[in-house]
Amino acid sequence: MKPYTYIFLSILIMGCGVSTKPIEYGRDQCSYCKMAIVDKAHSAQVVTNKGRVYSFDAIECMVDYVNEASEADFAHLVISDFSQPGKMVDARDAHYLVSDQIPSPMGAFLSGFGVLDSIQNLPERIEGETLTWQQLKNER
Amino acid sequence: MSARGIYTILFLLLPFFGNGKTIEVGADKEFNSIQKAIVEASYNDSILLFPGRYEEGAIVIDKSISLIGINYPIVSGSGKYEVFRITADSVSLQGLNIVDVGVSYLKDLAAIRVENSHHVTITGNKITNAFFGIYFAKSHFATITYNEVIGNAVHEHNSGNAIHLWSCHSAMIRSNHVFRHRDGIYLEFVERSFVINNISKNHLRYGLHFMFSNYDEYNHNDFSDNGAGVAVMFSRFIDMCNNTFSHNWGPAAYGLLLKEIYDGYMENNLFHTNSTAIHAEGVTRTYMQYNTFRDNGWALNVGGSCMDNMISHNNFINNTFDIIGGNNQLNTRYENNYWSEYSGYDLDKDKIGDIPHRPVKLFNYIIDRVPESIVLLRSPFVDLLSVAEKISPVFTPENIIDLKPSMKKFNVTVN
Repeated sequence: MKPYTYIFLSILIMGCGVSTKPIEYGRDQCSYCKMAIVDKAHSAQVVTNKGRVYSFDAIECMVDYVNEASEADFAHLVISDFSQPGKMVDARDAHYLVSDQIPSPMGAFLSGFGVLDSIQNLPERIEGETLTWQQLKNER
Repeated sequence: MSARGIYTILFLLLPFFGNGKTIEVGADKEFNSIQKAIVEASYNDSILLFPGRYEEGAIVIDKSISLIGINYPIVSGSGKYEVFRITADSVSLQGLNIVDVGVSYLKDLAAIRVENSHHVTITGNKITNAFFGIYFAKSHFATITYNEVIGNAVHEHNSGNAIHLWSCHSAMIRSNHVFRHRDGIYLEFVERSFVINNISKNHLRYGLHFMFSNYDEYNHNDFSDNGAGVAVMFSRFIDMCNNTFSHNWGPAAYGLLLKEIYDGYMENNLFHTNSTAIHAEGVTRTYMQYNTFRDNGWALNVGGSCMDNMISHNNFINNTFDIIGGNNQLNTRYENNYWSEYSGYDLDKDKIGDIPHRPVKLFNYIIDRVPESIVLLRSPFVDLLSVAEKISPVFTPENIIDLKPSMKKFNVTVN
């Protein structure tokens, strides 16, 4: 085969990959509550094993969505890291903070962090309860 | 002197009690700093702010005073701070031009932030370039009138709301003009409040946004050109009358998004040129009457779990699709509406069409399943299918039917 065939094929395969997709803030809509997604610090996304992408305006919406289905159906679960808004981290390894000092879009006062230490490193002292992914799933 | 005489004298003297003094602030006045004047002020005083530019960082108002601007003095947050924080009851803020509030993703910095303070009046202020404009938290009996809040949220998604109320009751939000924020007016856990005669345009997300708020009323407002329209979510007993929802275009944009609404009431609203005029999900016991839907992509998109709704006496004029939605609408009744699509006749001249109207066409049904099929809109093949379906319905939902379609448009005057 000619080199361009390989290139073409590889692009084709890449296009079919099961991967996350950047959220278009202000345009995309939450798959759970239908609200437009604007808050970069609280957004979340899941990708099913078939490669379907669902975005959420808040982590609480994603958790409710995942709880209604089964977690094994999803290839990727990502959330926005509150300390670096817009940066997506793996939801299963993330740490969650429930604090009434930080409101979240759907009223759960829930934010996510890639690294536990970044909660202490926020510009202001935040009081709240920290949760793991499993605890969060069970609590909602 | 009799006791009655003493009471009479005391009553006549009443207007002279509690009258505060007036403190002037300006370049050539006794004070040149707002914060210093507030420290010196006592209960019920008025502070007159003369024209000029004041940059003092965050100013705390912890006494019941009135702060009155003359010819819109400029109070700046230097792009770093919140400007006013009100922590006392019965404060009044009037005639100020507040500019350049700081932006923070951790704190909701606002031009005017009111915390745990009741009977606060914010009237006739201009707020430009603010992160959040007017922010009330746990503060009841608020009066927010005649303010102009203009943001600069064009591409910036980390922007705040123009008027934001959280955990408040009995607020009056009237005759404000709010432009270019994230949400124009945002109400979360707000009860027994009124939103009247406001203009809310060009916001990134919603012109008006209700969350978990009950027993509220919004009427005579104009919501146009917002990123996603207006959203009323998770709320009960909301009255929506005489509002205009227009020019809300986009894949996730609605004139009005209703989600988990119980006991709502909508009358006399005008929806024109929206992608979807009303998107309803989980709407229960809601009346919609005398509304006009004109030139929308979809007039009514009735999603899952809508129950016991009454849709009557509305005008559906020149919408691409009037109703979309499946068979899952339990006991939702369509009665006596005017449909410009209606092709029936009225032989007995009672102004009611003699044959029922089915507003869901076959193609609506297909598009609901396969959105990409929209490219086939206007194709003769689709028209053919629609005619066939009309003659012998197979797919179109049985229960979405108007048995008494009106032959005449209803007169709806908004405002």
